[in-house]
Amino acid sequence: MKVVLGMFRQLRRIMGREFLYLWRDSGLRRILLLASLLGLFLFFGIYSTQVLKDIPTAVVDLDGSAASGELVRSLGAAENLKITSYPDNYDDLQEMVKRGETVVGVVIPENFGKNTALGRQTNILVAVDTSNMVYATNAGGAVLTTARTMGAKAGVKTLIAKGVHPLEAAEAFQGVNFHEQAWFNPTLNYAHFMVLGLALNIWQQCCTLTAAANVVGERKMSSWHQVKASGVSKLRFFLGKSAVHIFVFMALVLPIFALAFGPMGLPLKSDPMMLLAFTLVFALSLHGLGTMMSSIAKDAVDAARFGMIIALPSFVISGYTWPLEAMPGILQKLAWLLPQTWFFQGINYLTFKNPGWGYMSQYFYALLIIALICYGVSTAVVSRY
Amino acid sequence: MSVVVSVEDLEQRIGSKVVLDRVSFEVSEGECFGVFGPKGCGKSTLLHILAGIDRFKKGKVRICDLDIGKTEKYRASLGLVTQRPSLFRDLRVGENLDFIAALKDVGRENVLAVVDRFCLEDFLDKPLTALYAGEFQRLSMACAMLNDPKVLILDEPISRLDLESSRVILREIKDFLSGGGACVWAFSGGVGLFQHMDRVAWLEGGGITIYSPQEAGREWDRQVEALSLESGVGDV
Repeated sequence: MKVVLGMFRQLRRIMGREFLYLWRDSGLRRILLLASLLGLFLFFGIYSTQVLKDIPTAVVDLDGSAASGELVRSLGAAENLKITSYPDNYDDLQEMVKRGETVVGVVIPENFGKNTALGRQTNILVAVDTSNMVYATNAGGAVLTTARTMGAKAGVKTLIAKGVHPLEAAEAFQGVNFHEQAWFNPTLNYAHFMVLGLALNIWQQCCTLTAAANVVGERKMSSWHQVKASGVSKLRFFLGKSAVHIFVFMALVLPIFALAFGPMGLPLKSDPMMLLAFTLVFALSLHGLGTMMSSIAKDAVDAARFGMIIALPSFVISGYTWPLEAMPGILQKLAWLLPQTWFFQGINYLTFKNPGWGYMSQYFYALLIIALICYGVSTAVVSRY
Repeated sequence: MSVVVSVEDLEQRIGSKVVLDRVSFEVSEGECFGVFGPKGCGKSTLLHILAGIDRFKKGKVRICDLDIGKTEKYRASLGLVTQRPSLFRDLRVGENLDFIAALKDVGRENVLAVVDRFCLEDFLDKPLTALYAGEFQRLSMACAMLNDPKVLILDEPISRLDLESSRVILREIKDFLSGGGACVWAFSGGVGLFQHMDRVAWLEGGGITIYSPQEAGREWDRQVEALSLESGVGDV
């Protein structure tokens, strides 16, 4: 009993010292406390408008007819387009797109009014600057919706001009009705999709870098001599430190979740306890990975490099923003070795879909296995010091 | 007097350099064993091996009758003062004492005892960076003594200290030895320290030669004289 009490007393002191260490390092303290929260507010501010509105649009009206005027007015009334200029010709439009003064360019050809009145086919050029993918996707979607509506209207007019009854003409364009349903994120809300993921990415980077200092941060300090000479169990020593790290990681993520699912109104379909349990398992595996890197690193700089190499690209290759299936096969396999991939995939399921324990259990087990392997390697390496 | 530290044919290499070459000696209860030699001769290497900080290539080292290559239990009987400051820089004086006491698994009463013996009451809330060398070394000694060790391993414990700190530390070492403790004390300067040793080992070129303090003094004088003649300043 006395031995057990002594062990707990030692653990408590080791944990106390680790808290002090993390707190007194003002740079580390600020990064840990503020980086993830600042990221959350920043990304929420950026993405909270949901979709890009008022996309700059330039219209070249080479016809100048009443029909082309009506088309221009329709474009101006389109939900996400904003006509900002009327260049005289195609070359001027091209220059404007090059200079970034407009994203969408529409060229209405000569004889547009005459051709539509005669029921002849007429081509309208719609150019979209795709150098910014996100802007291009939104602009393309907005233009497509407008073009589809206008194309249908023009088609109906053409049929009426050919003597078809207006109702029949309208029905001809509604013969096949595609009923679209967007599931899980019906408003295609960027904030719902990106904000939490990006904030958690900053959080996991901070955690990885903290964990990467776990072993080497002690071993390369002269005070390591005191630790070794004291006879304290190295396992107990690092267990105490690691427990504090995991506690701090969870304490840092709680306000992110509270703000995201509270005032910011981001979706959470799963049970909050399952989300927390999942995050805890991830924190363990992430800390295990960081500790393993720390145990094999030559020095603190080396450990920080390892941490950066893993933490920075892990979000991109996790499949959160770009589908894993679209990545090269070898990269897909590598991605599944990282806890971040399991975590970000799992977070997406938990926040949008709530697939239940039956499905999520594989994510829990994978993270636990990664944690066990990493801590196992760390223990084997540290025991040789 | 029973043997507390036993070193037999100890060999240590750093890269291709032989730092310790079949070094053997014993230290008994109540004995202060000095390790003397030029800088870089391997004094700290020897002490780090005894403290269990570094592994060694060959030989056998026993402390308190425990083979340090096979068990770690001997560490509970050790007190260590390193040449380079090795206390926890992120902790204050009192926190260092508390934390090292926790690492050594000893109680609060031991902390209070060393605070009193090493006159540290006024510094407990100070960060380590605010301490003078003497104060820091008194704290180092206090931390080493927290667990009432049987063996003290001291690497330059009183080099360039103020008189009061040196007096306190020497007094405590004397009390420790009279209580049956054994001390291995490395130093590279100050032949006046010979008087505090029972035996002195001259470490050079990986080998060790053991002298009585008087013989060590004479050997030191001889070497200084030889060096003076070599450098041509002997007639000055």
